[in-house]
Amino acid sequence: MGYFIDTARAMAVTMRNVFRPPTTVQYPKEDRVRPERYRTSFALVHDASGDEACIACLACERICPSRIITVKPAGKRESPVTGKKRNYLEDLTLDLNACIFCELCVQVCPTDALIMLRELAKPALSREGLFLSMERLYANESLAHSWGTGSRLMEMQDPKRGLPALEPGREAPPQGVDPIADGVS
Amino acid sequence: MTPLVHGAVWGVVIATVLVTVAVFSIWFERKFAARMQTRYGPTLVGPAGLLQIVADALKMMQKEDILPQKADPMLFRLAPPCAVIFTLAAAAVIPFDEDVLAADLDIGVLFLLAVGGLVVFPVWVAGWASNNKYALLGAMRAVAQGIAYEIPLVLSAMVPVVLAQSMRLSDIISVQAETHWFVFWPLGPGLIAFVIFFICSLAEANRIPFDIPEAESELVAGVTTEYAGMRFGLLQMAEYLHTLIASAVAAAIFFGGWDGPFASGLHWMVLKTLVLFFMIFWIRWSLVRFRSDQLMALCWKYLLPLSLVLVMLSALFVYVRAMDA
Repeated sequence: MGYFIDTARAMAVTMRNVFRPPTTVQYPKEDRVRPERYRTSFALVHDASGDEACIACLACERICPSRIITVKPAGKRESPVTGKKRNYLEDLTLDLNACIFCELCVQVCPTDALIMLRELAKPALSREGLFLSMERLYANESLAHSWGTGSRLMEMQDPKRGLPALEPGREAPPQGVDPIADGVS
Repeated sequence: MTPLVHGAVWGVVIATVLVTVAVFSIWFERKFAARMQTRYGPTLVGPAGLLQIVADALKMMQKEDILPQKADPMLFRLAPPCAVIFTLAAAAVIPFDEDVLAADLDIGVLFLLAVGGLVVFPVWVAGWASNNKYALLGAMRAVAQGIAYEIPLVLSAMVPVVLAQSMRLSDIISVQAETHWFVFWPLGPGLIAFVIFFICSLAEANRIPFDIPEAESELVAGVTTEYAGMRFGLLQMAEYLHTLIASAVAAAIFFGGWDGPFASGLHWMVLKTLVLFFMIFWIRWSLVRFRSDQLMALCWKYLLPLSLVLVMLSALFVYVRAMDA
């Protein structure tokens, strides 16, 4: 008898579900909520003055755990915007085939030049399709950016250091309060 | 029209309709099961995925016709069509309306149960001919289960026969039309007999919760392990046809067939059959599988004695009614 009661209860549960809206999200036809730090591909960006932000310091190439970034510096020359002498990039390639999406290259970038994208991940039909040349990286600049930039990520690691003043609409963390150290000591 | 021509014409029509309903019930089951699990189910092929089953059938026909090296070639090929034929043969005596039936046999219920019982053979043959241990184990379980549940199935089907005092299905329905549906009258035995009949039909068709013959977690796919393509499709179709025909039989002998309030007719029989068929899907996607010993215990310890008592009770009922009259 107990089995029949349990059967009826099981059937009641399934019938209740029939009248609930399906929870399926028809990805990729339907976009799902992407977190702020969702990250897919990469982009190279220009700085606030409109000059190329990358100074070819090789930091990203050195830190990359899977060694997929190749930077070729072009040497120092005068900036067409500010007139000051600085380093420029001749070529930067990034091979997504072996990328582990650790975001370390973004974190170490001193000029916030290399960032990751918040676009939907797009598959490629060949290995070449996942190889990002410098042209593709600069073309990606117009797409949606992920939250992380070099300065933001470094601030997260060490809040005392604060963000550079150039971040508009963002307050500096209150002085003397260390949210990480508070809990420990 | 001679009975032969009448039977041939209606036989073809009924068989075609039953096969079509069974095929499209697979679409319905997938949709329904999906909604139970708050999914969408098939959506891409045709409107609301309605043509998914057509696409599946086309796919199955394109598949390679695999004959395992050590299989018995003749029996292996014979089993799937036999399963469908034996299952469909039972539909010959089911009256859908006063005229919509292929053969009005005076031993209708006997024919139905005898032919329905034959379905165990193609399953066993399929498992044996595959020469595969999982298929053989599945077939052995199917036979053990089929034989065990055949007995309460027959005994519970005897209750309407005793009450109507006829084995002719159209007589059983007309007696119900004159008095009451046997599921409600006499209250108790009829209802319990229907429940037993329904449970045993599920077990005979190897549907969840009685699907240990093809328990995926233990036996890969049971008897269908070595089958591919349309042969596999036929075995699957036999299973769906079996449940559909069992629903039609239950609707006829317990729920008064074409008899219904307002206007009696074919639509009532179709409606009752489809409601019972729907119940089978509902049960299937709500319950979990019985263990082998639980399955046998349910049959031999509970259903068999209970159905024997029900047959005696209904006989007593008929006797007392005859004494009163």
